[in-house]
This record gives sequence, structure tokens and C-alpha cells, in this order.
Amino acid sequence: MHAVVAIKQVPDTTNVRIDPDTGTLIREGVPAIVNPYDVHALEMAVRLKERFGGQVTVLTMGPPKAAEALIECVEQGADRAILLSDRKFGGADTLATSYVLAGAIEAIRAEGPVDLLLFGKQAIDGDTAQVGPGVATRLGVPLITYAIEIEAFDPLARTAIVHRRTELGVEVLETALPALLTVEKEIAAIARAPLPNLVRAARYRPEVWDAAQPVAFDAAKLGIKGSPTVVGRAFTPAAKAPGEQIEVAALGLPAVIERALTRLEAAGVLAAGPPSAGGPGGGP
Amino acid sequence: MGADLRFDAIVVGGGPAGVAAAITMAKGGLDCVLIERGRFAGAKNLFGGVLYTHALADILPDYWSRQPPFERPVTEQGYWLLSPDSAMRILHKGECYKGEPAAAYTALRARFDPWFAEQAVREGVLVIPKTTVTEVRRDDQGRAIGVATDRPEGEVSAPIVVLAEGVNNLLTQQLGLARGDLPPRYVALAVKEVIGLPSAEIEARFGLAGPQEGVAIDIFGDATLGLPGTAFLYTDTKAVSIGVGLLLEELVHHNLRPYEVLARFKAHPAVRPYLAGGTPLEYGAHLIPEQGYDRMPQLVADGVLVVGDAACMVDALHREGTNLAMTAGRLAGETALEAHREQDFSARALRAYRRRLAESFVLKDLKQYRRMTDLLDSTPDLLGTYVNFINEAAQRYFTAHGIPKREMEAEILGLLRERRSFLGVARDLMRLLRGMRG
Amino acid sequence: MSGAPELTAETGPRRIWVLIEQQGGRVHPVSWELLGAARRLAVELDADRAIVEAVLLGQDVGAIAQEALRYGARRVHLIEDPVLADYRNLPYAVGISRLVQAHRPEIFLIGATSLGRDLASAVATRVETGLTADCTELTIDPKLQILAATRPTFGGNLMATILCRRHRPQMATVRPRVLPLPEPLPPAEIRGETRGEVVRAPLGLVEAEVPLRRLRLIPGAERVDLEYAEVIVAGGRGLGDRDGLPLLRQLAEALGGVLAVSRPLVDAGWVSVEHQVGQTGKTVRPKLYVAAGISGAVQHRVGMSGAGFILAINKDPHAPIFQIADLGIVGDLYEVVPALIDDLRARRSGGDDGR
Ligand SMILES: Cc1cc2nc3c(=O)[nH]c(=O)nc-3n(C[C@H](O)[C@H](O)[C@H](O)COP(=O)(O)OP(=O)(O)OC[C@H]3O[C@@H](n4cnc5c(N)ncnc54)[C@H](O)[C@@H]3O)c2cc1C
Ligand SMILES: Cc1cc2nc3c(=O)[nH]c(=O)nc-3n(C[C@H](O)[C@H](O)[C@H](O)COP(=O)(O)OP(=O)(O)OC[C@H]3O[C@@H](n4cnc5c(N)ncnc54)[C@H](O)[C@@H]3O)c2cc1C
Ligand SMILES: Nc1ncnc2c1ncn2[C@@H]1O[C@H](COP(=O)(O)O)[C@@H](O)[C@H]1O
Repeated sequence: MHAVVAIKQVPDTTNVRIDPDTGTLIREGVPAIVNPYDVHALEMAVRLKERFGGQVTVLTMGPPKAAEALIECVEQGADRAILLSDRKFGGADTLATSYVLAGAIEAIRAEGPVDLLLFGKQAIDGDTAQVGPGVATRLGVPLITYAIEIEAFDPLARTAIVHRRTELGVEVLETALPALLTVEKEIAAIARAPLPNLVRAARYRPEVWDAAQPVAFDAAKLGIKGSPTVVGRAFTPAAKAPGEQIEVAALGLPAVIERALTRLEAAGVLAAGPPSAGGPGGGP
Repeated sequence: MGADLRFDAIVVGGGPAGVAAAITMAKGGLDCVLIERGRFAGAKNLFGGVLYTHALADILPDYWSRQPPFERPVTEQGYWLLSPDSAMRILHKGECYKGEPAAAYTALRARFDPWFAEQAVREGVLVIPKTTVTEVRRDDQGRAIGVATDRPEGEVSAPIVVLAEGVNNLLTQQLGLARGDLPPRYVALAVKEVIGLPSAEIEARFGLAGPQEGVAIDIFGDATLGLPGTAFLYTDTKAVSIGVGLLLEELVHHNLRPYEVLARFKAHPAVRPYLAGGTPLEYGAHLIPEQGYDRMPQLVADGVLVVGDAACMVDALHREGTNLAMTAGRLAGETALEAHREQDFSARALRAYRRRLAESFVLKDLKQYRRMTDLLDSTPDLLGTYVNFINEAAQRYFTAHGIPKREMEAEILGLLRERRSFLGVARDLMRLLRGMRG
Repeated sequence: MSGAPELTAETGPRRIWVLIEQQGGRVHPVSWELLGAARRLAVELDADRAIVEAVLLGQDVGAIAQEALRYGARRVHLIEDPVLADYRNLPYAVGISRLVQAHRPEIFLIGATSLGRDLASAVATRVETGLTADCTELTIDPKLQILAATRPTFGGNLMATILCRRHRPQMATVRPRVLPLPEPLPPAEIRGETRGEVVRAPLGLVEAEVPLRRLRLIPGAERVDLEYAEVIVAGGRGLGDRDGLPLLRQLAEALGGVLAVSRPLVDAGWVSVEHQVGQTGKTVRPKLYVAAGISGAVQHRVGMSGAGFILAINKDPHAPIFQIADLGIVGDLYEVVPALIDDLRARRSGGDDGR
């Protein structure tokens, strides 16, 4: 069994702060982490490896610093890590990113068969959820987004049964392999990695691939050049003018409630009450 | 255990002490693993902020070319003595502090520690993060043979273990080298905030010529409500570091919450203007072991060396710790190299570490100030009393009241006498002198 | 076809497309919201030549095509095929991409639902164009005369306006409920217009070519229709304790609304994520949103700032939620909410008595 997991190093957006004066993002000091969904994708791959044998390859496109994220993946159980890093890749939108990742995966498949491609549901820096579907489309492999469970996996028959969450419920899909899954966190709970993995990771150096080697990418499809979308403007969400503010401590509770109900009534939002009123103390 | 889990030495803790030891051993050719519980070395570490370069140079003579992530050189230092509404400031600035590299720099541990650990990696140390050492493994004769960690398949082995675990020295205690938990009267709790400001703003406020200048100020008196303890205000590149530290016992005794003490200090009229308009970037608390020379843990056991805060190597009076930690780490590393050469890891052989320390400033300084904690401890209001007196005296001195100067001088002396008898003053001075002379 | 030098034909219609999302014959209302937005964009873009068209795939969905006309589509491109009975990425993406290549729309809008997000990227990749995900605002840039799609990034801390200058169509997915639901046109009006038409196209793909089968659907255990609720009573960490939830449920009941929460309550496991409003939860657009014990972090606000009337109850007079509240009550929710419930009930029973 060979699983390839695409991971991305992202700023920990729970720690992102906005400079109140300039309205810009303070990027400095924001720790970089492996995109949380990708960690679960990798865990799923490692579980499959434990069950069926084989190997797990992790892949990322990013700056040299992203090697840190790959090392963390080796700690978690990846066998091989590839960093796609080149100035020419910089500024890529999801179309250009999926072009590079798909090209790299083709190259990996040329070395030997790949059974499963695992992606995170979305990257928390951009929240686009577009790269996985883009790569599946380019590779012409079946796509299952929002996967929450692999019910069955048969590398010999080359089929799998996967659960996917949608607004309507959970779809149970049977797919041919290789398939590309983008995963929710439920796909696999993270286990604490054994120490030998960390020792191996501390010694590991990821392979670095650039725009020319070992895949000769088409420069026109890379980075900013290959990205149809551009950011026109970035700004912090505008605040709306504040409304009325009343204090219980100043007016007393009854007056506040009275005022509230008057305002709600005036806004025409009280009518929505259910016709069958009456909690306890309601009508006779 | 596979061969790849067997090492020549294990270092527990990726602070200045542990990294210094690891680098020294790796440079000497040992296969060394450093285990750090944080997400990376320095992830959770915190200190006030002044790093002395002499100790670093002894470990990495070419450290400057490795571009350490310092904040600002310390080109001006001094003391502020705060009364509740005024401040006496003593500052020393001079060309003597310039020159590159400088003798001291402000630094943030979240940046410095990862850099220092990276240097260890460059020297061949295997750094394992996110892993807590839970136990030092010993053979039936009590000799250390490795450590256990909180991970599955989590044991590694080595004939020598350097404990650089910092102030919470659980492993040192486990081995019986330190007696139980730190007593609250010998451990200070410090809280610190890093407040972001544009560098030009910092330079304007502190009167600095540019990013090549920086200030380190230690503050006494009202900052700690007159209780024994210190406060500090240091300039970083684009931030100021501000903090207060008080003995745990005082905090408990006076029912103080450290962050409230810090908030009060930040609001002091002499302090507030330096922080105005800044954005809080970082906030943290950390213990400082101040038990002093006489209560230090044992430094060696069979196959074990204890370094840095784990061994209580802090000179609180001069806010020095990292340099003691690094020097101790280096000396421990040198001792480990020697032990490997001789293939003798017994406590007896390792006692060379203690001898080396005794010849260095580390134990000499700790010995000299062995009485300071007790001095402050026995006269907890000493600091507040004198600091307030100095401020009031200064106020009289600097304002013309239309009274003859002789009368003013008498008045000032009177102010002192109100607070403390001449005999008391004399006794305080004597004890202070003794505390300083060792 | 990417980067075609001629972006806008000199003559002929300028098409703005909307995907009509249906599953099992049920249309996702975001489709109508998008048709509403498309009509507005058409006027902004080119009142003479811009036209709104819908794209509809499925099996036996002719009635939905008619409905799309009522929501303002001038033409519906319809592909009906048994292969399309259940949604699957490949046949849908193939069908739609062929339509795009044949008709070259300028703008193509899709709902940011799990279906829409699955599909949009596959289509954008096939036709090699730009796609902006999860937009909260759509306008036409007045200078460039192209779509300006605004979306939150970096965990909602920042908004970014994305442009797609040289590739067509300009694609965007849009969250349900960030745009208002338009009123359908009266049937007479469509019949009067000769231009309302349904154009059928073949799929050109057979079942054997699809490497994926749907075995079954396990219906969602709990369906919370927050997105389309008229009244929402939301609680935050200020509740302090999960025992506070029943109190909010009572208020929700008294107001005829449903319960929602901020993320910490979901993280704490008090309620399921279905109830969460905000950046990583749902976007809601009720007539009334009551926020009790919610500070109003930006990630929460992006999910509810489109509410008609916001009533905030918070102890802290400086809580950011008050910046967007129409009425802010500074006080303890455990005092204010029970009093509100009592008064609401009294009013109602008072009304009953009067009858
Ligand atoms: C507020 C404050 C201000 C200070 N100001 C200064 C100053 O201005 N100048 C100065 O020189 N010194 C200062 N110090 C003192 C200085 O920070 C310490 O003396 C120094 O950091 C000690 O280094 P260390 O390596 O011994 O310990 P630490 O820096 O504490 O490092 C210990 C490391 O061990 C790790 N660890 C602990 N237990 C385990 C385990 N079981 N398994 C794995 N890893 C473990 C920890 O995560 C940590 O990284 C200050 C201290 C404080 C708190
Ligand atoms: C990437 C990312 C995505 C996120 N997505 C979401 C999301 O989708 N939805 C979401 O909600 N959050 C989200 N968050 C979290 C968000 O940043 C806030 O942490 C969260 O919204 C805070 O919830 P809260 O207002 O309930 O809690 P708090 O911020 O803790 O506020 C509690 C409030 O209750 C008040 N209070 C306390 N006691 C009382 C009382 N007795 N009576 C009245 N008032 C009282 C307090 O004054 C305070 O204002 C996200 C964060 C990140 C980083
Ligand atoms: N630069 C990248 N390198 C590798 N994988 C990526 C990259 N960007 C996105 N991905 C993968 O695609 C998923 C979805 O990302 P996104 O479409 O950016 O939300 C992520 O969870 C990753 O698995």
C-alpha cells in the first residue's frame, strides 16, 4: 500500500493578531503548524500502512521553511517527505498549486503504484478547499471530499468504501483506487508517535524538488504567472455603527426589559412567536 | 533497544544549560541526544531578557557569524528606585558599552533558544522535541543508563545523563539530588509582558540613537510594593519587556496575584509613558530558583550531571542565570568528554565538574552572595523603606522651599530617622555589606 | 481555452451563470440567492447585454428548471441523465465543463455548500480558470468591469477582495445566507417574456465511465436549520455552565426561534457543531438574533452580522458585540433572560385572556 499525503504549513490562525493601528496582519511570531486537517489525513495513511504494510509519502509545496512541517510528518510516521520549493512556485493560487502537486504525484506514480491520495478538507489559512478537488481532476482519479471514515480498503481489489459528510447526511461511496480523499478530522484520531519515529525524523532531510528537477514544470503555469486570481484588496472587516446600549445597573431591570420589548416590537421581529404559545403559566 | 536509540550522552532540557552541554559534547565527538518537552526548544521558556555573551563565546567562539537573534545591545543600564509617586533613576551610559559584539544583549527566549538549539543540530546533536523525560533509568547499582520518556517505545540509553531541566527539577528530585520541592521562601515567581512598539518610538522614549542602542533597567521599591523582589524594563528591537518578580512566600503572605502586581507597576506614573500605545505580544510567568549557594542540589551522581536552573545556578542580585547555565553546561560537557575518554562515569570521576565550577565565576559568585536572600528575607520591608526615603529626600533636595540648605539637610535626616533608628540604619548597612562581600 | 486574449466579445450576450444545486429534487436555496445576486450583477455589469442563466443537472428535474426561470434566469441549461441521479463529482464536472466551454459565460456562481465546493474546483480546473471560495460579497469593480469577490481569510481576521482578470469564467462560490433570498417573479411575468427558455444538452458520459458509486445515504441524525431560521437565540461562554442552555432554549421557544451557540460551547462538547454560528460554523440571516454571553469575536460576527435585528446581552459594556448590536443590554444574562421570558409569556397569555 502506498499513500501520498499532501500537507501544507500554515500560520496558526488561532494566534493571528491584527495590528490595531495599521489594520494589517501581524505575521511575526505566529507559530507555523501543519494544517490541522492534514495531520488527520496523515494519521489515516499511517494507520493504513500499519494494517497493510507499505509506505507513506508526504508532499508539500512551500518555502524552504516548510521542511519543518515535513519533519513533523516523519515524526508522525511518514516514510518519505518531498518539499517542492522554488521561487517560481511563489504566489500560487489554487489552480497553480494543484498543477504542481499533480505533476509531483505523477512523478511519484511513475516510480511505482500509488493507492490513495489524502488531502485535508481545507487549509486554515485560505479556507478554500479547492486544491484537493483540483488535483483529483488533473490526475483523473475519483474524488471524495469531506471524508470521515474509510469503512473498507482493499489494495488488491483496488477498491475502497468511504463515508463522506454532506448537509443531507453521510454518503457511503464505493470507489476505485487510487482515489483522492479530502478529509475531516474524524477520519482518524491522532495517536502519540513512538520515540523511534522522532529519532528518525531528527536525522531526516526531506527531498527538495524544484521547478526543473525531477519534474520539468511548465513555467507559464507556475506561481503568480499561472494563477488566474489575484488579491485586489485586503482589509479588516468594517464595524457597523453601534446601536443603542442600555444598562441594567443604571435603568433597573424592569425598564430595560420594557425597552427591549418595545424595540423588538418596533423592529417587527416579535410576531414570529409560535401560534401555539404557552409554556408553563400560559393560557388556561 | 535498537542501536539507533543508544547514545554517548543524553541531555534533558533545551534551555541554555542543556544546549551548551550538548554542543560541547558534540564538538568533542560524542553522539548526543537532547530531549526537550516543548514544541521546540524555547517554546515555553521565558526570561527577563539580558544575555551575556562571554559564556556564549566560550562555547561557540564564532557565535557572532552565526547571527544570533538578539534584540538590542545593552548600551545603557541602571536602576530605578520607585516610591508610589516618584522615581529616582540612576543610569549608566557610555561609549564603553559599544563595540561589536557587545558584552550583553537583550533577547527573547522564543527566538534565542531555537537558534541556540539549531547550532547544536549543526554540531551534530540529535534534538528531539515534544517529548518529556519521565525518569532516569538506573542499573541495579544505581548508575544512570538512560532515560524513559512519555512516548511509546520511549526509552533511550547512554552512560551519561545531563539534567538541564530548569527550575522544576523533578528528575533531579527523583534521583534524590535535590531535597523535595523548592521552598516558597527561596523561589521567586516572575511575570513578564512583551509590549510591541515601533522601534523609532522606543528610541525616542528611551533616548536611544538607533537600533544599535538599548537599555536595561532594574527597578526596586514600589514596583514590588516595597517587598523584596525586582522589576525590570528592557528594550527589545520592536518591543519592551517589562516584568516583576517576588518571592512566592511574599505573594502568598500578602495574598498578591502576580499579574495584578505587574498591572499596578505598569500603571506607575514613571513607567506608564514608556508603554503607552503598545500592543501586548506575549505574556508569561516563570519561576526563578533563589535558594542560594547553601541549598544547591548535589551536582553529580553516578552517570548524572546537574546544570543550570535545575541546580539553582542563579545570581538573582545581578539577574544573571543564562550565563551561569551556559557555563555550567559547558563544564559538564567537558567533564562528560573526559569521562568517555577514561570510560569512568562514576560520581567520583564526575566530581571534576564541581571542581571546574568552583574555579569559575559560577560557584564563586553564588558563594559570595550566599547571604543575600536571607538578608532580604529577614528584613522584608528594608527595600521599601529606603527607596521611599531616597525619593522623599530627593524631592526636598531638588525643590527650593526658601529654607536654608542646612535646615533642609536636617529635615532629610529627620525623614530617615522617622523610618529607622540610626542604629538600625548602621545594622542594615553592615548586613548589606556582608551580603555583598560574601 | 485559458487566457484567451478576447475576454469579452464585442457583441452578443454576456452571460452570468448560476448553478442550481439540487439533490433528490430538492433545491438548495442558496441557488435562488445566487440568482438574485446575478440579476444585480447583470445590471452593474452591462444592463443591455448581460443576461442571467442557470445551469441545472440531474434526473427528472424539469420542474426545477421552471422554478429557476421564476427566480430570474432567462435561460436554463439543463442536462438530464440517469447518471446524474445522485450527485457525483465526475459526471457533474464533465457535464458543466462542456457547457462552459460551449457557451463561455463571463461569471459563474456556485453555492459554497459541500456539493458546490466539491464541484466548483473540479470545473475551474477543467476549464483552467480562477475560482474564489466562500465569498461573502460580490460586486462588479466599476473601473475594471470585472467581478470583485470578497471573502474572509486568516480565520476571519482579514477580508480579501479577489479578482480574476484574464480568465473566464470568473468563478466564485458563495456561502448560503450571506445574500438575501429574492422574491420569485409572479408566473405571469415569465410567461409574458418570450426569452425564458430551457435548453437541453446531452451529458455525453455513461455510467461505466464513472469510477464511483453511492451505496447508501445515512440521513443526518440532527438537522438544525439555523441558516433559514427567522429567530435565533445564541449563547456563548458567558453562560458559564451547560446548565444555562435550557434557559436559552426557553427564550428561543418564547420567541419562536432556535438555539445557536458560539464555538467554545461546541468545543466544550455542550452542543453539536450544527448549532455553531460563525467563521467555522454557519452563516445566519435571521430577522432577530439574540446574543447572550457572547463577546462578539470577529469569527463569530462574520456568521451573524447580516441579521436584521441584533439584541446583545453582556455583562461587559465594552464587549465587541455591542458594536454591531441594534440594542445592547449591559447586564447579567441570568437576570435579563428570565425577565425577558416572563414578559414574553405574560404578553402572550395576556393576549389570550383578552380574546
Ligand atoms: C523573569 C526572569 C527573568 C530572568 N532574567 C534573566 C536575565 O536577564 N539574564 C539572565 O542571564 N538570566 C535571567 N533569568 C534566568 C535564566 O532564565 C535562567 O537561569 C536560565 O534560563 C536557566 O537555563 P536552564 O537551561 O538551566 O533552564 P531553562 O531555560 O528553564 O530550560 C529548561 C528546559 O528543560 C525543558 N525540560 C524540563 N523538564 C524536562 C523534561 N522532563 N523532559 C524534557 N525537557 C524538559 C524545559 O522545557 C526547558 O526548555 C531570568 C529568569 C526569569 C524567570
Ligand atoms: C480560525 C478560527 C475560527 C473560529 N470560528 C468560530 C466560529 O465559527 N464561531 C465562533 O463563535 N467562534 C469562532 N472562533 C472563536 C472566536 O475567536 C471566539 O473565541 C469565540 O467566538 C468566543 O466565544 P464567546 O463569545 O462565547 O466567548 P468569550 O469571548 O469568552 O465571551 C464571553 C462573554 O460573555 C460575557 N459574560 C460572562 N458572564 C456573563 C453573564 N453572566 N451575563 C452576561 N454576559 C456574560 C463576557 O463579558 C464575555 O463578553 C474561531 C476562532 C478561530 C481562530
Ligand atoms: N502548498 C501545498 N502543498 C501541499 N498540499 C497543499 C498545499 N496547499 C493545499 N494543500 C492540500 O490541499 C488541502 C486543501 O487546501 P486549500 O484548498 O488551500 O484549502 C490542504 O489540506 C492540503 O492537503
